[in-house]
Amino acid sequence: MKPILLQGHERSLTQIKYNREGDLLFSVAKDQFANVWYSVNGERLGTYNGHSGAVWCVDVDWDTKNVLTGSADNSCRLWDCETGKQLAMLETNSAVRTCGFDFSGNIIMFSTDKQMGYQCYLNYFDLRDPQQIEDNQPYLSIPCSESKITSAVWGPLGEFVVAGHENGEINQFSAKSGEIVKKIKEHTKQINDIQTSVDLTMFITASKDCAAKMFDTTSLDHIKSFKTERPVNSAAISPNMEHVVMGGGQEAMEVTTTSTRIGKFEARFFHAAYEEEFGRVKGHFGPINCVAFHPDGKSYSSGGEDGYVRIHYFDPQYFDFELEA
Amino acid sequence: MRDTEDMDAELEFDEGEEPSFSDPEDFEDDISDSELLGDILREKPQEADGIDSVVVVDNVPQVGPDRLEKLKNVIHKIFSKFGKITNEFYPEADGKTKGYIFLEYSVPSHAHEAVKNADGYKLDKQHTFRVNLFTDFDKYMSISDEWEPPEKQPFKDFGNLRHWMEEPDCRDQYSVIYDSGEKTGIFSNDVKEPIEVEERARWTETYVRWSPKGTYLATFHQRGIALWGGEKFKQIQRFSHQGVQLIDFSPCERYVVTFSPLMDTKDDPQAIIIWDVLTGQKKRGFHCESSAHWPIFKWSPDGKFFARMTQDTLSIYETPSMGLLDKKSLKINGIKDFSWSPGDNVIAFWVPEDKDIPARVTLMQLPSRNEIRVRNLFNVVDCKLHWQKNGDYLCVKVDRTPKGTQGIVTNFEIFRMREKQVPVDVVEMKEGIIAFAWEPNGSRFAVLHGESPRINASFYHVKSNGKIDLIKMFDKQQANSIFWSPQGQFLVLAGLRSMNGALAFVDTSDCTLMNIAEHYMASDVEWDPTGRFVVTSVSWWSHKVDNAFWLWTFQGRLLQKNNKDRFCQLLWRPRPPSLLSQEQIKAIKKDLKRYSKIFEQKDRLSQSKASKDLVDKRRGMMDEYRTYREAAMKMYQEQRPLRLELRGGVDTDELDSNVDDWEEETIEFFINEEIIPIGDL
Repeated sequence: MKPILLQGHERSLTQIKYNREGDLLFSVAKDQFANVWYSVNGERLGTYNGHSGAVWCVDVDWDTKNVLTGSADNSCRLWDCETGKQLAMLETNSAVRTCGFDFSGNIIMFSTDKQMGYQCYLNYFDLRDPQQIEDNQPYLSIPCSESKITSAVWGPLGEFVVAGHENGEINQFSAKSGEIVKKIKEHTKQINDIQTSVDLTMFITASKDCAAKMFDTTSLDHIKSFKTERPVNSAAISPNMEHVVMGGGQEAMEVTTTSTRIGKFEARFFHAAYEEEFGRVKGHFGPINCVAFHPDGKSYSSGGEDGYVRIHYFDPQYFDFELEA
Repeated sequence: MRDTEDMDAELEFDEGEEPSFSDPEDFEDDISDSELLGDILREKPQEADGIDSVVVVDNVPQVGPDRLEKLKNVIHKIFSKFGKITNEFYPEADGKTKGYIFLEYSVPSHAHEAVKNADGYKLDKQHTFRVNLFTDFDKYMSISDEWEPPEKQPFKDFGNLRHWMEEPDCRDQYSVIYDSGEKTGIFSNDVKEPIEVEERARWTETYVRWSPKGTYLATFHQRGIALWGGEKFKQIQRFSHQGVQLIDFSPCERYVVTFSPLMDTKDDPQAIIIWDVLTGQKKRGFHCESSAHWPIFKWSPDGKFFARMTQDTLSIYETPSMGLLDKKSLKINGIKDFSWSPGDNVIAFWVPEDKDIPARVTLMQLPSRNEIRVRNLFNVVDCKLHWQKNGDYLCVKVDRTPKGTQGIVTNFEIFRMREKQVPVDVVEMKEGIIAFAWEPNGSRFAVLHGESPRINASFYHVKSNGKIDLIKMFDKQQANSIFWSPQGQFLVLAGLRSMNGALAFVDTSDCTLMNIAEHYMASDVEWDPTGRFVVTSVSWWSHKVDNAFWLWTFQGRLLQKNNKDRFCQLLWRPRPPSLLSQEQIKAIKKDLKRYSKIFEQKDRLSQSKASKDLVDKRRGMMDEYRTYREAAMKMYQEQRPLRLELRGGVDTDELDSNVDDWEEETIEFFINEEIIPIGDL
């Protein structure tokens, strides 16, 4: 089936996310805008205007009421999803790299970059306490002196946040005390993206060391590894099939020396249990920066360096395909 | 007591008697002379003093007193080069010098230099000096009369050096260097995937080389070369040559030539060293001005001779003595290039135009030095020699500027070596030549000509009736190199490096294009020694991403893509020549059906086994995964009440768990656009 092409950004995409029910797709890019689209036909609903720098991250709460974005303009903003109105702005000292609502939608977390003398912090705000928002005072602010946080997701019950760092480490930060509850180091280079499975029991990390790995969210046990020859920018776990999708690219300097033939940047599908690649989807004109599965598993989307978001609906053969076993 | 003694002595003295100063009768002198006077004794002239600095020179002309002065001057001139001569002795008999003299230097090292350099010096036609150390005589005199056989060295068993040839499935081996040179691995080639035989970190410091028959693997190190072989790749031999950069093997694998730019000194040529592989001995060292055209020494196909070209000279040496053939080099004015026939002891060389004498190509038989063929060429700019693999044909690519024109035109002069008088046929080429290659074991050759982007590939057949036919020409090819299969008939046209790895697989028996494919940015193409497989690779040395080697069948069907981190080089292990006679090979080819049945059965079994292995592996992984998921699901279910609480009682576990949530909506999809003109209104 032909993919739906979303042309709404002027610069490369940084993150895309579906809401819980999957009818909306949120996309943010380096062009300062956050867009929301109907995933069924690609029609754009609207734009969240306000940021004055590249928008690095986006999240939507479980009820599709609020939208959270983090940007290089040193702010994390809360928006009303339906109207597009900015509800709150939390100023920071450095760029906001990753953000998210917890399972209940009441607590938000975001991390800030290590920049211009400021350390990397992981901040927690409780939205039920308007005072915190007004005073711009998180109830918990954890400094990370070593490697900065590059990606983070909430645990299944809002008790901890799993964060990936620039040096490949993965840490579990408690949302109550701020302590590091667990830590592991399975990757050797920066963790570009972390995404959870739809039931939040597992998550997959995408790393610059050309591999993506699957872990159990609570125990941080390393379950599976998926190896490629290019740095992996983003990975996602299918909600209904035993598949994962990965999108990647190469070092910016080497882009001109590799195949620049049209549309050769591919999203790669691996079998989650066998760790074997079984399919590729071409189409992007540049490295793929973010991928996401629709919550019903019948389609997936990818956002690229080329500024396009492509929504692909799977053919029936995709669901029937099986590797011999 | 002393006082008493003295007093006694004094008493005695007083009595008018002289005291006795001699030792008491039983006094024993326990202090030796050397202890007392050691330093003085050391300077006592020894009989053997100066012997180490004395040389004996034999074959000195026997002269009478009238010419003695002149002789002494000559000797002095020659031998004072090695040091100050402190003493000389010209023994005489019957009024003439005896024919041998003694010279003494101030230090033994000068004597050694004299022996090294003057021994063998030709004074004139009848007198060649033999120079020896005087102390050598002692050594040779004291050799016992009884000859004792030399002690037997324990036999170093390296096992079967041809072990890899006994592989039951006839898999060829290849070496792979990856991790930018940190790791070297030896793999056995299997259709499904490479089987690792050996892998060692830092096995070599730069790259590796196989010996021509595949027996040894040579690795490079700062201190020299090491040779490895046998089943376990044990170290068989080591050659110490500091800073070695290049090596070459003799075709018979008996000798290794190493080059190092560091080691050369004026007196002691050490830039190029020739070693005996089996004993590890240094056989001879040579100077080397530049290593630009390696190998500097070219070997005859049977390993009996090796030759090198210097300004106006062709020096041919013979083995095992390592001396010049006939004790002199060939003077060939203006010699530009030479090469051995790969099949016989014949050298081809060419000389450019010299005033009125045209350029010419000469074929010379060795060791007789007979010129079996000479061919004159006119208006020559440059020549290149291309031998066919068996020495059946020689192609001389001649670039010339015909009189009255400006451009360069190329001809191929084809020498038919197997026919009487070596007839020569000429093929004229209308375009510039990019590549030329003979078919191994055959009588065809392929040429790439033209200019990018219009490059053409032409295939010619040298027929036995004296004609050379153009079989076929493919135009507009993306190719800059030709790779024939080592068994002939098939070849790969490749566009390497700047041409982005375009590949064309051709069957030259009817000149059909079997397959066109691509290995993006391929830098190398290597056929296996049997001609069944081709490997194309992207080396890290030329391209920093996508380093991998791909395996194809000879027909161009892709079998494997092997990604190796920072892959650098793949070399197939050569095979030694077949032990079967031609008749035996013919018989096997006739009976091929019988043999192929056995192999086909084996192939089918191994394929199903491979799938069975894969299937088993997958089953195991799936079971593991499912077990984990069950446990995770269990915990998930246990946490359900917590989830409901967090979301205010709304059940969000499944997408359809809250049917009340669902709305019906009508959405518009853009399907088609049609413009219908309504007509005039």
